[in-house]
Amino acid sequence: MISDRIRSNLWQTFRKSLLPKLGLVLLASIVFMAVFAPVLATHNPTRTGYYDEQGAEYPPLGYEYTTSVADDGDIADVTVEPTTEHVLGTNNVGQDVYSRFLYGARVSLLVGLLGTALAVVIGVPIGLVAGYYGGRVDDGLMRIADTMLAFPALVLALALIGVFGESPIYVPDPIVAVGLVDGMPDRIPIPGTVTIVAGLVTWVWFARVARGEALSIRSEEYVKAARSFGTSDRAILLKHVLPNSLTPIIVLATIQVAVIILLEASLAYLGFSGTTLSWGYEIERGQDVLRTRPWVAMVPGIGIVLAVISVNLLGDWLRDALDPNIEGEGR
Amino acid sequence: MSMAKFLVRRLLQGIVVIWGVVTIMFGLRAVAPGDPANLMLAEGATQELVEQVRREEGLDEPVYVQYLDYVRELVTGDFGYSWQSNREVEAMVIERIPATIELTIAATIVALVIAIPLGVISATRRNEPADYGATMFSLLGISTPNFWLGLMLILVFGVWFGIPYPTFGLSWVSLASISVPFPSVGFYDFPTGRRPVGFGEAVRTLVRYGSVYDLLVWLKHIALPALTLGTYFTALITRLTRSGMVDELGKPYVTASQAKGLPSVLVRYKHVLRNTMIPVITVLGLQMGTLMGGAVITETVFNWPGLGLRLIDALGTRDWPLMQGIVVFIAIAFVTINIAVDAVYNYLDPRVSEQ
Amino acid sequence: MTEEILRVSDLSTRYFTQEGQVNAVSSLDLEIERGEVFGIVGESGSGKSVTARSVMDLIEPPGEITDGEIRYRNPDLVEAIADDHPNAIDGEFVKLLELPDDVRRSLRGTSFSMIFQDPESSFNPTLTVGEQLAEAVEVQRRASATPRSTRARTESAEYSLGSLLLSNVFPSRRYVSEESRDRAIELLELVGIPDPVERADEYPHEYSGGMLQRAMIAQALAGEPDVLIADEPTTALDVTIQAQILDLLDDLQRETGMTILLITHNLGVIARMCDRVGVMYAGEIVERGTLEDVFDEQIHPYTAGLLGSVPDLEGGATRRDADRRTADRLQPIPGNVPSLLDHEMDDRCQFADRCPKAMTACLEHPPEYPAGGSDAHRARCVLAEREYDEDAALSDGYFDESKRPVGDEHAEPAEPGTEPPEERPQQPAENTGGERQ
Repeated sequence: MISDRIRSNLWQTFRKSLLPKLGLVLLASIVFMAVFAPVLATHNPTRTGYYDEQGAEYPPLGYEYTTSVADDGDIADVTVEPTTEHVLGTNNVGQDVYSRFLYGARVSLLVGLLGTALAVVIGVPIGLVAGYYGGRVDDGLMRIADTMLAFPALVLALALIGVFGESPIYVPDPIVAVGLVDGMPDRIPIPGTVTIVAGLVTWVWFARVARGEALSIRSEEYVKAARSFGTSDRAILLKHVLPNSLTPIIVLATIQVAVIILLEASLAYLGFSGTTLSWGYEIERGQDVLRTRPWVAMVPGIGIVLAVISVNLLGDWLRDALDPNIEGEGR
Repeated sequence: MSMAKFLVRRLLQGIVVIWGVVTIMFGLRAVAPGDPANLMLAEGATQELVEQVRREEGLDEPVYVQYLDYVRELVTGDFGYSWQSNREVEAMVIERIPATIELTIAATIVALVIAIPLGVISATRRNEPADYGATMFSLLGISTPNFWLGLMLILVFGVWFGIPYPTFGLSWVSLASISVPFPSVGFYDFPTGRRPVGFGEAVRTLVRYGSVYDLLVWLKHIALPALTLGTYFTALITRLTRSGMVDELGKPYVTASQAKGLPSVLVRYKHVLRNTMIPVITVLGLQMGTLMGGAVITETVFNWPGLGLRLIDALGTRDWPLMQGIVVFIAIAFVTINIAVDAVYNYLDPRVSEQ
Repeated sequence: MTEEILRVSDLSTRYFTQEGQVNAVSSLDLEIERGEVFGIVGESGSGKSVTARSVMDLIEPPGEITDGEIRYRNPDLVEAIADDHPNAIDGEFVKLLELPDDVRRSLRGTSFSMIFQDPESSFNPTLTVGEQLAEAVEVQRRASATPRSTRARTESAEYSLGSLLLSNVFPSRRYVSEESRDRAIELLELVGIPDPVERADEYPHEYSGGMLQRAMIAQALAGEPDVLIADEPTTALDVTIQAQILDLLDDLQRETGMTILLITHNLGVIARMCDRVGVMYAGEIVERGTLEDVFDEQIHPYTAGLLGSVPDLEGGATRRDADRRTADRLQPIPGNVPSLLDHEMDDRCQFADRCPKAMTACLEHPPEYPAGGSDAHRARCVLAEREYDEDAALSDGYFDESKRPVGDEHAEPAEPGTEPPEERPQQPAENTGGERQ
């Protein structure tokens, strides 16, 4: 499936240009950050705390943050400026911005990967079947795809969260599990419903690409030959059509990871995510203290930009090297 | 296939899509938890009242009857009443459309005005500093979440530059004087205290009184939201224009046009750019959903009184009829724009109508 | 009376690619006389098209004309540019490479025009054929409005972005005038397209390949050029259509007396059309002379090899028997088209590694020797001077041993599309000239 030609193209393109290297370095750093978040973090990202004028920590008060608390004159300001204790300061509820930045990478990457996987699993079979059979099947499936494109992701997210709840998926932390660090959460929640929504919103692009590939491959001689031997449609789809559509699907999947990271951030920002350990959610919090504590919103935003850029750079590299025909940039 | 036949076909497909959207909405509403009758009524309503509402709204009918009723109502243009405000959904949608259209068009104009020249420069001066600059800009543009970009613009212009009146959004009355950043004080222009007007009314003021004042106020308010919403599309179109034009410039007809002595401006714009824009336009049509989603978020960030903000309100209060109205409108807009895009495509590329 | 209209001397065109410098054309000399049909023949990758594009000023990065001079005889032009560019003048000749870009551009279409190999991709698919022809007419119309002044000439060819934008608002400001459209229809009629009025409003995809090549010829004639460069004008066409197109070119040449530089890999086409021929190999003309010189008294083993691989010459262009064409391919010249990468080229006879008569003398780069036949007959081969000597012959495996086989390393241009695909020097010899059938 990965021929020498593809490998040499990948290498040539990589060698020639600075951008893929930059993308790889960036992505590697972010993955490193995400994997070793418990080691790199200075504080438990979920622990809240309050501070007096001199920056000494009160015992965690253990109550939920509300707007009225932050604006309440009694507890003046729970955010602290960057200090040696909190290198990037704390947010509205006294959580360490730097530690949450690290953990936010985990959520973003996991949702990006799982959402894309779901979209591939839904979209590719639908597209292949539509393109291979053509006619009414194709028309019907493509109308469904059009409908999904015209349907706002937000509404879908809200309705599904209403039905399934936020359904957080708890991902155990291997580093904490083997006992390397103490005082960090032993598992982190990633938003399950949002992942499903991401898959439901983006499968359409995979279906379109897979359909296009199936359409062109089904008229190839070797497929006709296979059919004339009485090979079943299922076998033809799996043995001939699918392997040959892989290149554009891989490129598209890379791009979609970036798209889904952005989607997750937007949903979290709007409060439809269900988990609080998310870059988008942090930005929403930072908005409330934008005037006085701009870093709270700034830091996670930079995280999103870097993560998305790194994935996009790799996507561009694959696209340049493999030269698939993807309509609509798949965004 | 003739143009008319093509359009009729696309129109029928569009109707199918809208029907699909309507059906999904109904399905979501049917499975969503919460008794609509409870959502409609104030808390603590008596059981009898709840029962009465259920009967009146047909909520005790079987699902398929409810579905048929629902579709029939929509087809006759009856979108029902908002559960929250008890106002007609249609009116609630229509009053918010101009603001959203102004925002999306302004963003599209920002995108086109910046992106096409940038893409052309990038493609014609490949591997020069201008090209690298444009590439980096477009990479950043497609990778920046627009809500964050909006906040950062507010931070820079409002907080750091301290511009004392809102050059952005509609209700950021004065960051310096108000501690709560998102005051629900309504949509007022500071410091005049006037309610800012839409583009149409601003133009009317200009024509009637010869005053550009309203127009300037309008511009002042739309500048940052349009920039926020437009950045992603600017970046996307720059990328598409660049790569399309690089492809197109390598085609033999370009050499042939040069060989016949055609001025380079004509080769570059009449021939190459025109052909480059054909696929770009198609992609933009497909990206309309992204533009609308972006509008929802931009409106939230800037408190822009458009449909998106209303949708967020409706989502927050589980106001299904209002949600439905807005979603149907968005679907209609999406379908219409895509038909228009196809028509333009058809017009620009004579090969399409052959197929 | 004959006079030279074009004199190319010592022309070198190079491509600077990732893999290294590609010497597409090396120190090429060429003289073309007014009213003649001069043919250049050679395998793909021999530098034929690059030569043509160098004359047209159509070399784009990473390509560059690094050396040489192209002189074009045109007393009117000499007079017109005498004040502005005195250093570009040499008697009645204009030195094209000394001219600034805008003046050179203004010569395209009016002094030189070109027919391309693939008519289908050489027309813009989204504009009507009539519109595209009318553009070419308009170029000439605007240039000839004030033929005596180059300044006017170049300025009239200038068309700013502002004028283009205005033309969308005011139809009267459009580049292409009504008269040019009418002339475009006449031209379509001239090249034998039926119903030219209707056809002018059709798009390229509505034309057949042969029709489109006729339209391209019409387009090239629109500027009434002094020199028409035809780059593989029939290669992409069916055999039957090829003959018609050659007939058309022949007729037009006879009627107008224009000069044609015909580039082809097909010796049949050469035999059918040309007065004089140059045989190109590895960026050089290795043998030149009249048709008779080259076909009957050829010196260079490469020429002989070309003739050997297409034995049935007389019927070449009109032959309809496809099977026999395939049969002709059974005697290819052994070996591959040479690599034109600078660092892989030795200073020797470039053909020596494939030559059946290679001798030790061939390890030095041969000059052009006069050869028998007409006065014009020249060959870049030591055999013009001496007989083949078995004793001095190079051993069979000489070039394999001394280095790896040349030509098997791909020399991809840095950016696809900027270099004419025909010039990729890695294709095997059998696969000549970008044939498509």
